[in-house]
Amino acid sequence: MDQRKKILATLLLKNNSYARLFLAWLSLCVGTTLFLIAILVWWNFQELLYGKSAHDSLGSSFITVSKKVTGENMGNPTLTSFKPSEIGELRRATGVESIGALTANRFPAVIKLNTSLGFATDIFLESVPDQFMDTLPEEWGWGADSREVPIILSNDFLNLYNYGFALSQGLPQLSQTTIQAIAFDLVLGTPENQQVYSAHIVGFTDRISSVLVPQSFMDYANTVFGSHANPNPSRLILKLKDPSNPTFIKLLKDKNYTTNTESLRWNKLRSVVEVIVGATGILALLIMGISTLVFTLFIELTIAQSKQSLELLSLIGYAPSYLRQFMFRRFFPIMLTAILTAVLLVLLAQFLIAFWAKSHQLVLPFIPSWHIWLVIAVGTILLFIQIKRAIKKAIG
Amino acid sequence: MQLTIQKVVPHPLRAAITANSSDIWMQQHRFSKGQRIAVIAPSGKGKTTFFHLLNGIRTDYDGTITWGDRDLRWMDSDELSKLRAMYIGTVFQDLRLLSQLTVWENLELKRGITNTITPEKMQQMLHQLGIAEKKDSPCRTLSYGEQQRVAIIRALLQPFDWLLLDEPFSHLDHLNIEKAVMLILEMAQKHQAGILITSLEDNDYFQYHQKLYL
Repeated sequence: MDQRKKILATLLLKNNSYARLFLAWLSLCVGTTLFLIAILVWWNFQELLYGKSAHDSLGSSFITVSKKVTGENMGNPTLTSFKPSEIGELRRATGVESIGALTANRFPAVIKLNTSLGFATDIFLESVPDQFMDTLPEEWGWGADSREVPIILSNDFLNLYNYGFALSQGLPQLSQTTIQAIAFDLVLGTPENQQVYSAHIVGFTDRISSVLVPQSFMDYANTVFGSHANPNPSRLILKLKDPSNPTFIKLLKDKNYTTNTESLRWNKLRSVVEVIVGATGILALLIMGISTLVFTLFIELTIAQSKQSLELLSLIGYAPSYLRQFMFRRFFPIMLTAILTAVLLVLLAQFLIAFWAKSHQLVLPFIPSWHIWLVIAVGTILLFIQIKRAIKKAIG
Repeated sequence: MQLTIQKVVPHPLRAAITANSSDIWMQQHRFSKGQRIAVIAPSGKGKTTFFHLLNGIRTDYDGTITWGDRDLRWMDSDELSKLRAMYIGTVFQDLRLLSQLTVWENLELKRGITNTITPEKMQQMLHQLGIAEKKDSPCRTLSYGEQQRVAIIRALLQPFDWLLLDEPFSHLDHLNIEKAVMLILEMAQKHQAGILITSLEDNDYFQYHQKLYL
């Protein structure tokens, strides 16, 4: 720094006490950190609920709907299935984004354990379009010539077996990995028209309580082994904006449709959490605003204390633009270090959050996404502009 | 750079000024670079106001003041600073030194804007006016006469077309006035600059082209 700049610094910044400088820095750093962490929490929440690894155990925007079986309609499948007009009505309902039918098998199906134990049971199969699935393992899919059929099993069924059936019957409990290693024979059709496929479980679902096979396989099997014409679906899967929406719940009630009420309750809770996260965001925005104000006031106070000197400097030929630049160069590093510290703290926070989530079988990225970086970049630019404006306002 | 003043009347003095009561107010003048002008008036006639108008410090006046071809009223703050840094050197009556800084720091702040005068020359000027030994003393500890000499040197540490001196020798003895006049003349000749000086009484510090009475 040349001698003149040293003298200017002595003249214009000498009133800065280190305590005040540190407090201004701390205020900006804490404000920025809280603001970024609030965004980080919101983003992580979105990742958990709507991201690629979204987990239905945290509440889903997908629900399955069927007609309530009553004394009047029991025994008559046509009364418990959905007519096209009823499907159309649901499609048009508020908040329904898409709708899909669960296709059931229309042929006898038996699953046999491919061992000497001789275990065999009749089963039912269902399929849904892939867009409604919460998990799509690599092995999922079926081609016309394939003898291999992948199956996705509901977690509910595995739990029923492990905590109900196995314990009561003295059978071994089975982990997901163990079940996936077991090969089954899938016998389809009547003895006159029968084929055996090799089946294995490739994944588990929280979304649909069923035994799922690929849609292409179900369409093929129903055509080849099916005994009667294509009936109306008895279960529908709906993607909703907000499953806890009272209007939608009323529609279900009015129509006497049933769904998973636990899922609706989860979604209600999720809505509450979303509101809380939103409120935290507003609070963080407020804190960020206050800390920016404190930092701006610090700048204005520093300049106000040097007002007389600045006027004298202007009288002897110092351009206000030069003085503004001089002051900005003094305050900019303070701003930058506060933001960088906040960013480092946020990176650390994300790492810890992701680590914690992993221990709860939830997948979160260890590095924040470009959304967060964009907010940091925009925030820095806005702060940069605010400081420039404050200096311009103070110096003129 | 030419200085033109046309029918200038400061607002606070409007009531006191009549058509022919002053050589400056309500008159038209064109001062060319290199001229030496004395403005003489007793206290309270507006000498300092006139100086502040020429410096662009005040804008509460009617009429027009033009430096070169630029109307002072329309200059923005950066243009005014350039005018003060490159074209007019000023000694204010109240000196306007940065009292918390040393003599050297005050001068260095001014010298560093244009770097047209070397530190050695600055040191020599301090010697010429007899305040070299005070160069590391804070200005506030100097006598008013010493501060006046610091202000004179500061006005000379830049290129200039005009030197505006507002009662620059009011606290100097004859010997020091003589030394200051010599230094000012030397620098004014070097830059072929004009001098505009105000004083309470008639004087012959410089060979004036014009003496005007406020």
